[in-house]
Amino acid sequence: MIKANKIEKTYSKTAILTPVLNDITLSIQKGEYVAIMGTSGSGKSTLMYILGCLDKPTKGELELDGVDVYGMDDDALSALRNKKIGFVFQQFFLLERTTALDNVLLPLIYANKYPDDALQRGRKVLAQVGLEDRVEYLANELSGGQQQRVAIARALINDPDVIFADEPTGNLDSQSTAEILDILGHLHQEGRTIIIVTHDRTVANHAQRILELKDGRIAEIKNP
Amino acid sequence: MTIGVASVVVMVSMGRGAQKHILDMIHNMGTNLIVVNAGQVTLVGGRERQAAIVTTLRPADVTAIAEHVVSVADAAPETSRSMNVRWESENMKTDIVGVTPAAFRIRKIETKVGRIFNSFENDSAQRVAVIGSVIAETLFHDENPVGHQIRIGLAPFEVVGVMTTKGVDATGVDRDDRILIPLETIMRRLVRTFFIQKIHIQVKNFDKLNSAEAEIRNLLRERHRLGDKPDDFTIQNQATIVETEKEATRTLTILVGSIASISLLVGGIGILAVMLTAFRERRKEIGLRRAVGARRSDIRTQFLLESLIFAGLGGFFGAFFGILFTILASALGGWNIIISWVATFFGFALSAVVGLIFGIYPASKAARLEPIEALRSE
Repeated sequence: MIKANKIEKTYSKTAILTPVLNDITLSIQKGEYVAIMGTSGSGKSTLMYILGCLDKPTKGELELDGVDVYGMDDDALSALRNKKIGFVFQQFFLLERTTALDNVLLPLIYANKYPDDALQRGRKVLAQVGLEDRVEYLANELSGGQQQRVAIARALINDPDVIFADEPTGNLDSQSTAEILDILGHLHQEGRTIIIVTHDRTVANHAQRILELKDGRIAEIKNP
Repeated sequence: MTIGVASVVVMVSMGRGAQKHILDMIHNMGTNLIVVNAGQVTLVGGRERQAAIVTTLRPADVTAIAEHVVSVADAAPETSRSMNVRWESENMKTDIVGVTPAAFRIRKIETKVGRIFNSFENDSAQRVAVIGSVIAETLFHDENPVGHQIRIGLAPFEVVGVMTTKGVDATGVDRDDRILIPLETIMRRLVRTFFIQKIHIQVKNFDKLNSAEAEIRNLLRERHRLGDKPDDFTIQNQATIVETEKEATRTLTILVGSIASISLLVGGIGILAVMLTAFRERRKEIGLRRAVGARRSDIRTQFLLESLIFAGLGGFFGAFFGILFTILASALGGWNIIISWVATFFGFALSAVVGLIFGIYPASKAARLEPIEALRSE
């Protein structure tokens, strides 16, 4: 599914070049549930963004589903993210004053063709995350856990191959955390590839495999 | 933005109003006219003021002009004085204008009730009067004035007709607030003068206006034995008058036009500021949209559309207020204004264009933003 070969990422915002990722080589199989762990500043988010085609590596090769991503142009990457990848973020990133349903349908706007069955699909994915009775609620009327579930539904709307979750439980209480992890577990059982970024070992333990990053390198690969 | 578009609408509406006004004026004045005023006429506060000396033009000058200048079709002398008019208990001050019947032909004055007076009545200095509609309303209210006796000064006059309403002329004189009586009557009975103040001359065709003006000037200078003294009369021909009017209108249009462009510019900068703020506040939204598959061009389009809508709303209100103001102005100020729908649409479109132009910078800034940077911004 995902193959990364000797990926390097350097930030050159300031005059000093700051290496963030160094010589990362990894491969993730279809249907795997992988956690990327590390302390803050270890480069785990950067790695996830690169794997999720939101950011480009400075050096290295990246293959997604057998396609070389490194050479793709900006628009092609956008289309790729739209079709094959779903993102879940720590801060949910929902549009406030917009209904749960409209938030979920947002990615469809950027698809080639707006599907006729958009509404049904939206309701279906919201039901999948247990929010069938919150469809018309505005995003800011929902609790944190519910908002994150809307975000997961949004990630699912285009039926993606991979779901990337960046600290999805970072802003949630323990009960909501359990719910979210439960949903991710279900999605994994349905056969989806899930990559979760976290600093929390108990969260990471839900995955099949844990990659631990330290100073921009993969320090440890564990199977819990 | 709103002010800009409103100005455009008002400006063009006024401009067109003024244009129509000029055409009306030409039409109402009579065609191919040359006006000779006794003494030097100067413009004071935009209005014609005649100098005190008015003892230069005589009826004989009119006869001479009609006889010697071949291109002249008709000539109508006039003299006027402001006097009190009374009917029953109503009483007002107005301009009493003495004219010959030729004046009705040349200046296209018609009656809506009754008749005009004829040459016989003029020659025999009869006390008959054709009154303006304002006079008819003020003195007679709803009653038909024709056949009634009014008093001009102390002398009784019979009202034989009421003029059709003509409105205010180019210099702000209300042409409905006056009474026309035979020239001989005013000269022999009311004012007791040998002199006339004004001659309206109709030339056979428009091309001859300037040559006829020159001929008349020479003839009058000769008759008045001016030698190398300056003219003791003023000649204006229609072409010049119209030109002057147009000039005034143009000045007004430029003035309002500059207000419009300044406020459109200010509106544009306002949009720029608002969209830049929106860009800063919505970085995360931009990041998210990029993450779920929006291309750079999608983001650019969204921002451009937003500033377009923003400007369009401003334009819409501008058009609304512009039309409102135009209607108000023409109702309250009695201005001659035509609402220009073309201008309204143009103003609206202009605001949209301004919105687009000033939206380009924020939109391309938003589009250039790296998704990763956008998502990480606080």
